[in-house]
Parts: sequence; C-alpha cells; structure tokens
Amino acid sequence: MSLEDEYRSVRHRAALSRMDHVGLVRLSGDDMTEALDTVCSGDLWVRDGRMLQTLILDEQGQPVADVYVCPDDDACILMFEGITTEEISALLARYAGPELAVQVEDLRPAYELISLHGPYAWEVLSKWLTPDVIGLPYLSFYHFDRGTCFRAGKTGEYGYDVAIRTEHAEQAWGELLNLVEGLGGGEVSLGTLDLCALENGFFSVRHGPVEGLTPLELQLQWRVSARKRFPGATAIQERRAQGMNRRLTHFVARESVKTGDPLHGPDAPVGRVTAAAYSPGLGGVAGMALLDVSVAHPGIDAFFVPAPEANRPIRTVSSPLLFNRSLLVDPHRHSCATRDASNDPPLWQGSLP
Amino acid sequence: MTTDLYDYVSTREAILDRVRRMLRDAMKLRIEPEAIDPDAPLFGTGLGMDSVDAIELVVQLDTVFGLTLAGSPHVSSKLRTVNTIVDAIMEISDES
Repeated sequence: MSLEDEYRSVRHRAALSRMDHVGLVRLSGDDMTEALDTVCSGDLWVRDGRMLQTLILDEQGQPVADVYVCPDDDACILMFEGITTEEISALLARYAGPELAVQVEDLRPAYELISLHGPYAWEVLSKWLTPDVIGLPYLSFYHFDRGTCFRAGKTGEYGYDVAIRTEHAEQAWGELLNLVEGLGGGEVSLGTLDLCALENGFFSVRHGPVEGLTPLELQLQWRVSARKRFPGATAIQERRAQGMNRRLTHFVARESVKTGDPLHGPDAPVGRVTAAAYSPGLGGVAGMALLDVSVAHPGIDAFFVPAPEANRPIRTVSSPLLFNRSLLVDPHRHSCATRDASNDPPLWQGSLP
Repeated sequence: MTTDLYDYVSTREAILDRVRRMLRDAMKLRIEPEAIDPDAPLFGTGLGMDSVDAIELVVQLDTVFGLTLAGSPHVSSKLRTVNTIVDAIMEISDES
C-alpha cells in the first residue's frame, strides 16, 4: 500500500501491523515489584489488569526504553521498545542487585505481537475475539485462550496489541487481515505508525535522537517520579536545579522541512528540528522541534528554516495535531459500514504557514 | 524578539501559568505547576484525570476563565492537553 493508503487505514478505517520491534517479558519472583521499581522512572502505582506507561533512563537521564508495565496476578508483563530483553535483564541485575529474587522470562519465542489501530479497530477485534473487547478500558489487558489482548496504541485512534501464541499467529494474522480489509483498511508499516504517533504527540524512541534530552525537555515529566531513586534521577534533579532551557514543541510546515534542520527566529536561532515527516492528513509536514524555552509555545508563525532560495516558514502548534476520528466513533452505537461521516469536522483544523 | 512575538509569548505564558495552578489547586494534582508539561495528556495517561475530573474541569474553566464548554460540540478536542486548553482560552480572548 502507498503511504496515503496506509495512513487512511489508520486514520479512517482499521490497520494491522506486526510488532517485531517490541519486546515482551514476564517478570516473577518475590522481589519483582521492588526490582522493577528500581529501574523504571515512574511511580508504579497500577492495579492488576491495567497498564502503566513509564520510561527507563540512562544515567544522563536520557530515555533508552519506552515501557508498559502490566501487573498480572503474581507476575508482571513488560512490553517495551528501545532496548532488548537481554538489556532489560542486565539493567535489573545491575540496579536491583543479586539479593533480590526476580526472574525474567522472554515471551517472544512463545508469542508474536500483532497490533490493530484505527477508529474501527475495535470492530475488527470484536468480530475476531469477542464483542466484550469493546468494553476494555484504555490501558488495560485481558487473557484469552490463545494469548493476551492489550488496549493501548500510540496513534490517537483505538489501538490494541495482541500477544498471540506463535502456533496460532499466522492463522490469526490471516483472519485479522481479512477483517481489516473488509472495512477498507490494510496492513501498515512501522513508518506510518510512527508518523501517526508524531501527529498525536506520543513519545517514540524512533522520533529522532534524544542525546542530551531528559524527560524535562521531552515533556515527559509525568513519567518521572519525584519520590524515588532510579537511573538518571540525579541528572534530572541537576537539570531542574539549573533550569530547563529547551523544550520540545510541535510544528507544521508547508514545504520540505527535515530532521536536523536549524530553526531561526526574527533575530536569532531558536532551535532545531528533531523529527519531521510528510503527513497526508495535513497535506504538509508534521514535526517536532527543540526550541529555546522562552519561545517554546504553540501558535507562533515567526520561525523558519533558512534556505538559499527562500526561507521555509513553520508554525508551532499544540499536539495532538489532529481531530482523531476515534473521538467521534462510539463502538456502542456505530459501525464502519453504517456510520455517517459526512458531517465530521476536518481531521486537521488548522492551516499551513 | 519582536514586540508582537514578545507580547504573544507573555500572554500565553501568563495563561499557561494560571491553567497549571488551577489544575494543581482545583483538580488536586499533587505536583508543582512547573512539572505539568504543556503537552502532557490530561486524561488516561499523562496527568491521569478521569471522567469525574472532566466535569470538574469544565466547571472550573467556566468559572475561572469564562470558557464555556458545557453543551458545545467536540469538547473532548479542547481538553486533550494543557496547551489545547490555553488555545481555547486565547481564542475567546481574541473574540472578546
């Protein structure tokens, strides 16, 4: 499928994707919670069956992993991006210490991960699995006979990650793809999902380098505890004490603006582009820039990428950039085939500079 | 910084500061205002607010800022982050 078709699947229909880049482990043991608490940056206050987003930072306070913590009876499932299972195990051994009883079981050989996204992703899953899936709250999960269904996603649309036992994975993929295509959607690439995450302001370890950036600049302070010790905590405290001087801010542009481009204001440089991609929904570029904190606000038209022929203007905006269709679709009342979308507001309600 | 840009940023920062304080005080968020990221999601993840908080937030925005959202279409799109709230407040300021 073309980028436009993939994008349309995620934003207007339903989309299916393999999640080979995501790690999945099961922690167990008497000291499992304590061990996990030592390596994750956030406060791990989460009930059984629910999911919590947190980070693992390096000693400089830079994110190295984007993690879902999923307590599950006497164990805890971790779903993560950015590091490997071996690295998770090494971090636990390093920071939790050998005296804590914790076992790490890699679930990836036994399970494959398939993800569903889109305003009608719930419809696909309700037909494939059970209609009860409609009632699954955001950031929760439940087990079924062939695996586990996580209600998550980083696109701003309904999203589900399905861990399915490997022996059932190919059949499940075929059945889900049939259902997705029946709604006018299809398989989508990681690149399209990353674009959708960028548009909706979700953090991604693949959205450009985070060198020198802590959760303060990345607007991820909500994933950082002020009450406990964890790798990178000292660096964050020092950064807070010094005062943050840059902050990530979203922008849109009409013309080609690329990751790494410098940004200038009326009389001085103001920052640089950290991620940028063409968005079919905008008809232009969606991006993020690291701006001087004095001007790191939405609604500014004064910045540009300098270019020999003509400067390329950008406009800073609030994220999420889009009015996601999932805000308009009610699984209890609608279906993809019958919902009248003719009066929906536009996906992108702004204008390009 | 040009005068226009300076004025815009000053206005925006003042409203952002008031919204952050309102969230901490009225919504009982147990964090300092400056630790509330402007683009942090209000509901679900982020600040972790729920549907009960949403009702209180709509009341507070009306009381404190004169931003009337109750009954207006697509309220949810205005209550996604602190920045989207600030956008909505600046919009009514521009209109008045």
